[in-house]
Amino acid sequence: MDKVLISQVGFSTMHKVVTVDMEKDILSANRKLADQNQALLDEHGIRAFDFLGAIGSGKTLIIERLIDKLKGDGKRCAAIAGDVAGDDDYRRFSAHGVAAENISTGKECHLDAHMVDHALERLPLDDLDYVFVENVGNLVCPVDFPLGSHKRVVVISVTEGDDMVRKHPAIFAFSDVVVINKVDLADAMEVDPDSLATDARRTNPNAKVVIMNARQGKGIDDLAEALGL
Amino acid sequence: MHEFSVMSQIVDAIMEEAKKREASKIEGVTIELGEFTMLGEEQMRFSFEVLSKGTMMEDATLVFRTTDGEIECECGFRGGMSPSDDAAHGSTLILECPKCGGAAAIVGGRECVIRDIRMVVPDV
Repeated sequence: MDKVLISQVGFSTMHKVVTVDMEKDILSANRKLADQNQALLDEHGIRAFDFLGAIGSGKTLIIERLIDKLKGDGKRCAAIAGDVAGDDDYRRFSAHGVAAENISTGKECHLDAHMVDHALERLPLDDLDYVFVENVGNLVCPVDFPLGSHKRVVVISVTEGDDMVRKHPAIFAFSDVVVINKVDLADAMEVDPDSLATDARRTNPNAKVVIMNARQGKGIDDLAEALGL
Repeated sequence: MHEFSVMSQIVDAIMEEAKKREASKIEGVTIELGEFTMLGEEQMRFSFEVLSKGTMMEDATLVFRTTDGEIECECGFRGGMSPSDDAAHGSTLILECPKCGGAAAIVGGRECVIRDIRMVVPDV
C-alpha cells in the first residue's frame, strides 16, 4: 500500500515545489508475486524448490539426480531452467522425461517471480507433485528476488574455494538448505568441506547443511531428507 | 548487477507519481535501502544517471539512507546481528544470535523504499 501525503510547500509564481511522501517498496512487488506463485502451487498440492548457486557448482546435476530418485518413487516432477542464454539445462531436464520450461533471462542476472509465474502457466500443474526451479548462476542478485518456492537451496562446491560462505553471506542467510558439492575433489583443491559447513551453520543456524558428490550420487538421500522428500 | 532493473522500476514509479501531479521537474528523491538487500548505492546512482538522462528527473538529487537490518531470536533478542570475528569480512551477515547463540531470523532490512519525491508542480 502506498501512502502519499504532501508535507512541504514552497511557492513560485506559477509553480510550487512539493515534497510528496511515499512509502513504495520496490522489492515488495516481487514478493507479492512470489506469494501468489506459492498460493498457486499450494492449490495444486505441489511443493517447489529453487536452486541457487555459483556457475558450475552442480545445480543442474543435483536436480537431475533428484528427478531420477523421485521418478523411481512414482512422483511427478517438472523443472524450470533459468539461464542468461541457451537451453542446455532445459534439454538436460527434458531428457529425463519430465515437463520442463526454459527461461532465458537475456540480460537479467536473476530470475524473478514474474518470469516464474509465466513458466508455471505453461506447466501441467494438475499432474505434478514437485517443481524444481534452477536460478541463474549467481550468488548475489537472486537474494533480493524470492520466487515463491517452498524451500531455497544454495549450492556451492569445494572447487570455488574455502571462503565462499564468508564472501556471500546473504544468500546463505536467506536459504533453507546449503549443499557443499564435489567433496570428492576436496583434497585436490586443498579445501576442507567442514570449514565451509561451519561458516554456513554460523551464517544461518536454521539451514540444513548437506555434503554431496552429485556426480557419484553421494548425498542425494541426505538432500532429499533435508527437503522433506 | 540487478541495480539497473530495480532502478528502472524506481524511475517508472517516480514518473507515474509525477504524471499524476502534472509535475514539470523532479528535484530530488529519497530512497531507503535495507542493510540486508544486495543493492549497492554507487550502482544505483549510476543506473539513475543513465535512466534519467533527457527526462524531467535528469538533475534530481538522489539521497540514499540505509535502513538497519534487524534480527530476532526466540530468546527475546531483537537487534543488530553478531559482529564477524573475521576482520577481512567485516560486514558478514551472521544469524547466530549474539545473546544466546541460537538461530535468529531476519525481521528488517530487506526493503528498497522510495521515501519521498521533491517535484515542481503547477500552483493552482
